[in-house]
Amino acid sequence: MIKVNNLTKVFASRGKPVRAVDDVSTQVNKGEVVVIIGPSGSGKSTFLRCLNGLEAFDDGQVIIDGVDLGDSKTNINTVRREVGMVFQHFNLFPHKTVLENVTLAQRVVRKRKADEAENKAMALLTKVGIAEKAHEYPSRLSGGQQQRVAIARALAMDPKVMLFDEPTSALDPEMVGEVLEVMQQLAREGMTMAVVTHEMGFAREVAQRVLFMDAGKILEDAPPAEFFTAPREPRAQTFLKQVL
Amino acid sequence: MPLKRHQAQWPWHALLGLILLAMAVGLWIATKRVNYEWRWERVPQYFFYQDERAQSAPLAGVVSQIRPDGAYSRVDIKPADGGAPAAVAVETETLKVKAGDTVAEGDEIGAQRHWQIGPLTKGLWVTIWISFVSGFFGLAIGLVAGLCRLSPNPTLRGLAVFYIELIRGTPLLVQIFIFYFFIGTVLNLDRIVAGVGALALFVGAYTAEIIRAGIQSIAKGQTEAARSLGMTAAETMLHIVLPQALKRVLPPLAGQFISLIKDSSLVSVIAITDLTKSGREIITSSFATFEIWFTVALLYLVVTSLLSQLLFWLERRFARSD
Repeated sequence: MIKVNNLTKVFASRGKPVRAVDDVSTQVNKGEVVVIIGPSGSGKSTFLRCLNGLEAFDDGQVIIDGVDLGDSKTNINTVRREVGMVFQHFNLFPHKTVLENVTLAQRVVRKRKADEAENKAMALLTKVGIAEKAHEYPSRLSGGQQQRVAIARALAMDPKVMLFDEPTSALDPEMVGEVLEVMQQLAREGMTMAVVTHEMGFAREVAQRVLFMDAGKILEDAPPAEFFTAPREPRAQTFLKQVL
Repeated sequence: MPLKRHQAQWPWHALLGLILLAMAVGLWIATKRVNYEWRWERVPQYFFYQDERAQSAPLAGVVSQIRPDGAYSRVDIKPADGGAPAAVAVETETLKVKAGDTVAEGDEIGAQRHWQIGPLTKGLWVTIWISFVSGFFGLAIGLVAGLCRLSPNPTLRGLAVFYIELIRGTPLLVQIFIFYFFIGTVLNLDRIVAGVGALALFVGAYTAEIIRAGIQSIAKGQTEAARSLGMTAAETMLHIVLPQALKRVLPPLAGQFISLIKDSSLVSVIAITDLTKSGREIITSSFATFEIWFTVALLYLVVTSLLSQLLFWLERRFARSD
């Protein structure tokens, strides 16, 4: 579903180039849940953002469902509608109600009729357990509720892949559970997911594979059972000692 | 002693009232010093006045009868040569003939009075519509220029910067003269078009900067979220960024449009009879200099306060989603 070959992203900050993603190759199969972990600044968010072209990468190849993102003939917008993304800070549209947040892209991008988009939105809002807030503005919702709306908004486009960029990092601890539950449910339903997170419990329970990144490189790629009990890399060992 | 102290507010309000009163008294003394004779009773006629139009006999003959008809009197004139009689309606108060009088053609019989709109009202109206029209076009120009200013295309960006710097770096009065005497002559523009054009270009440059700042103030995550859903850059701008940016820049935009109403007084230099020019014209005939300028200032104040109230109301309506 996702294939990454020799992906490289260089940030030129104050004249000093930083290789945020450094020659990374990997792939995510259909229905697979891959969790990407690593210390801050290791390039895991940048890597994830390259997967839907939010970050323009400098070198390498990203192929989503057979479409090469870097190809000049590829329309990036048609790829993006197949790739849902959930952000750390939710990024809901504050001037639109919850319902409008979920229907807008369906109408503008997928050209669905108003009632079709609304039915779809209400079904998804029910699924993430927040249908009763459909006519509220996002500012009236808690962080956990906002993040669930953001997930519904991404799902409304019927994506083939979902990317999660630290979806619980900006939440109060008691709200983390409700968001992880929704993600878990998605995983059970067979959604292909790439998740950047610090939630080791989620990684252990839900992921099929864990990618450990540091300094722009994937240092370890293993099933969670193996990764959490017997990490091979010394840097992964130190990291796990600190977070667990 | 608690940190939060309760202090009575009324002495300060009283002081404010006292200061304002002192200023009014000072003004009054100052005008006494220069021996100015206030004639406020002259002002209302420049808003509305009664126009007397003399009515004359259409033909020579004898006034056969005068019939009262409300405030009017209908005067029937029977011609001497026995042709068809004629009737003239005049206001009873101004009636100058009685029944049986002989009148020649063109003799004044009386007058009709009509309420007319005075020059101050006309000038006020010109100021309002010129401001409105140039504000409308200015907003459109500002929106386009502001978007161009943020465009990744260097040509568009350069043009926008050039336009904004050119307008912001020169006085409006000079721009109006150039627009009227140079561009107006070359393109054969009417003075009103030249005036509105100059004002619209002027306000557009400032609006462009306000809109640019508003767009830049919207968090990057908003654009990213919209793009990640597959929206194009244009759709993102239209549905996500611009609505939020416009809401945010409403207060500075309001200030800009209030300025525009005041700046529109400068078009009086190219002989557009707006509120300011009307005031100047009235003064040349009435010599009520102080009263007219005070009245003109008050009228500007009324218009600008109404506009700021309207925008304040709009702002509160848009605040619903906060």
